[in-house]
Amino acid sequence: MDPALLLRLRVEDFLYSEAALLDAWKLKDWLALYAPDARYEIAPTGEPEAATLASSEALFLVADDRERLEQRVIRLLKPSAHAEYPHSRVRHLYSNVRARNGADGDVEATSHFVAFRSKRSITATFMGQHLWRLAPHDDSFRIRLKRTVLDLDALVPQGKVSFLL
Amino acid sequence: MVTVAPLEPAIQQSRFLRIDPERGRFLVHRSAYASPEVYEEEKRRILRRSWIILGHDCELPAKGDFIVRPVIDRELIFNRDVNGRVNAFFNTCRHRGAAVCREPRGNRKRFVCPYHGWAYRSSGELFDQNATFGYGERFNDDGFYDLTKVPRLEQRAGFWFVSFDPTVPPLEDYLAEAGPLLDEIAEHSVAGLRVVRGCHEYEIKANYKLICENSYDGYHLNLTHASYVDYMKTMVKGLVNIDIRGRARSLGNGHACFELRIPTGRPVAQWLPVWGEEARMQIEAKRSELEARLGAEKADRIANVNRNMVLFPNSIINDQQTILMRTVTPMAHNRMIIRAWSFGPADESPVLRRIRNECTLSFLGPGGFATPDDVEMLELCQRGYETSDVEWNDISKGYHAGEHPLRDENPHFDNELQMRAYWYRWNELMSAAE
Repeated sequence: MDPALLLRLRVEDFLYSEAALLDAWKLKDWLALYAPDARYEIAPTGEPEAATLASSEALFLVADDRERLEQRVIRLLKPSAHAEYPHSRVRHLYSNVRARNGADGDVEATSHFVAFRSKRSITATFMGQHLWRLAPHDDSFRIRLKRTVLDLDALVPQGKVSFLL
Repeated sequence: MVTVAPLEPAIQQSRFLRIDPERGRFLVHRSAYASPEVYEEEKRRILRRSWIILGHDCELPAKGDFIVRPVIDRELIFNRDVNGRVNAFFNTCRHRGAAVCREPRGNRKRFVCPYHGWAYRSSGELFDQNATFGYGERFNDDGFYDLTKVPRLEQRAGFWFVSFDPTVPPLEDYLAEAGPLLDEIAEHSVAGLRVVRGCHEYEIKANYKLICENSYDGYHLNLTHASYVDYMKTMVKGLVNIDIRGRARSLGNGHACFELRIPTGRPVAQWLPVWGEEARMQIEAKRSELEARLGAEKADRIANVNRNMVLFPNSIINDQQTILMRTVTPMAHNRMIIRAWSFGPADESPVLRRIRNECTLSFLGPGGFATPDDVEMLELCQRGYETSDVEWNDISKGYHAGEHPLRDENPHFDNELQMRAYWYRWNELMSAAE
């Protein structure tokens, strides 16, 4: 098989399993997919350069290193994380996956997403692009970067990002 | 000290307030949050007749810079014209009304209406109608067709405010004791403030006054934000002596704040061990600079006191891990849009800028560890008003029988004095003869 095609299939397979863990709220298993130096970021809305902005220089929605991401997961599994108690129903759809081998041995990928969140009969829709940096790990990958770039000018009417995109 | 008039019977028993000095009860009628008619009335009586925050001077660093920004139910162009003057125009062409500015921000020497081409200078003057004939020489000799300015635009310590009421008192008088607190923010650095790129903009399905109350509510911290407190305890491990002291303060004209001495760390200027040695040296240097410039007492206040302030009726300025400016745009009686910007010293180092951003994000904003839970609570409150026949909210905490509701005899950060100050003023304006 064409190696580029095979790479895309392997990445797709990995991303689908990542999304499945999010949709099932299996957040500890989800966290295990992240490398020790991972970053999990949601760039500011309404910023044309959201894909390349540095989180140290702009007001991101989320800019977690691995330690804070772990704290985020711990928090979201507590009843005192009120916005997500009881947990909302979420569904992540990934598509338009493109992947290539980067210079440093990592795989760089982009994918498009739509995520739905339903709670108290209200459904919010989030859409945009994910930027991934994946480190090969055994037969699979570990995530070193997941940056979400929302195609939204503002969180209107979504209101908040209380779950994981 | 804010002077407090004795309670009049009309205030104790109004449409919206029930004050019972014998029981130490202070009640607010829920129609103030849940009635579309009351909302229309307060837009007329309060929102359009107050000073509302528009932005900060540092958001327009260069001549020609502009930002399109909503205030209440109006869309404004906030700009620095080519002469360096700051303006606030209604974003509508004087010809037939189309928006003359369609980008959210940028730099422009002129605004050209996309419909027929009327063109305005950055100072608002109409200079071309895109027509070779059809208009006489005197057509705009009195400036009638220039972009319309908001009736009042004034600033304090770099924070620009607008009012749609030409007869509103000067901003200086309006801000009362809140003014010096804005001045203190400007003193964080001689280099002035710098706005961090990016804005947190989000909707809350609740009455706008609920976010005002929430912004300086000390009482909800331990429960609503229990999971954030857990997180902080994990992050500041080694910092044992968590001693929270603070108070709520009424600042006059309905403005109020709560102040907290809590060791959450601040780039200006309280160090946390988890931030590392490089940050420690820089924060200690900042602290020394504050002391040398402002004296020990003021430096201590700037470095160690977190303050959340609501400028009546809907401008929020928090001075904590960052300077946070929140504008609150009511969209209906049960819906609002929040916009929040973070500010720090213009000369802050990259290390401290990064710390500032991380602290801001971890607590505040729609993806933080705290704000989503606030949003949840406010929406639950609004839902409670709209799905029950219960009429009154309580904001009595700290008000004891025989005391004045706007005097805190035993100040404590989680009393509700600040909300009583707000509602007292709100009720006065809603009850005044029109």
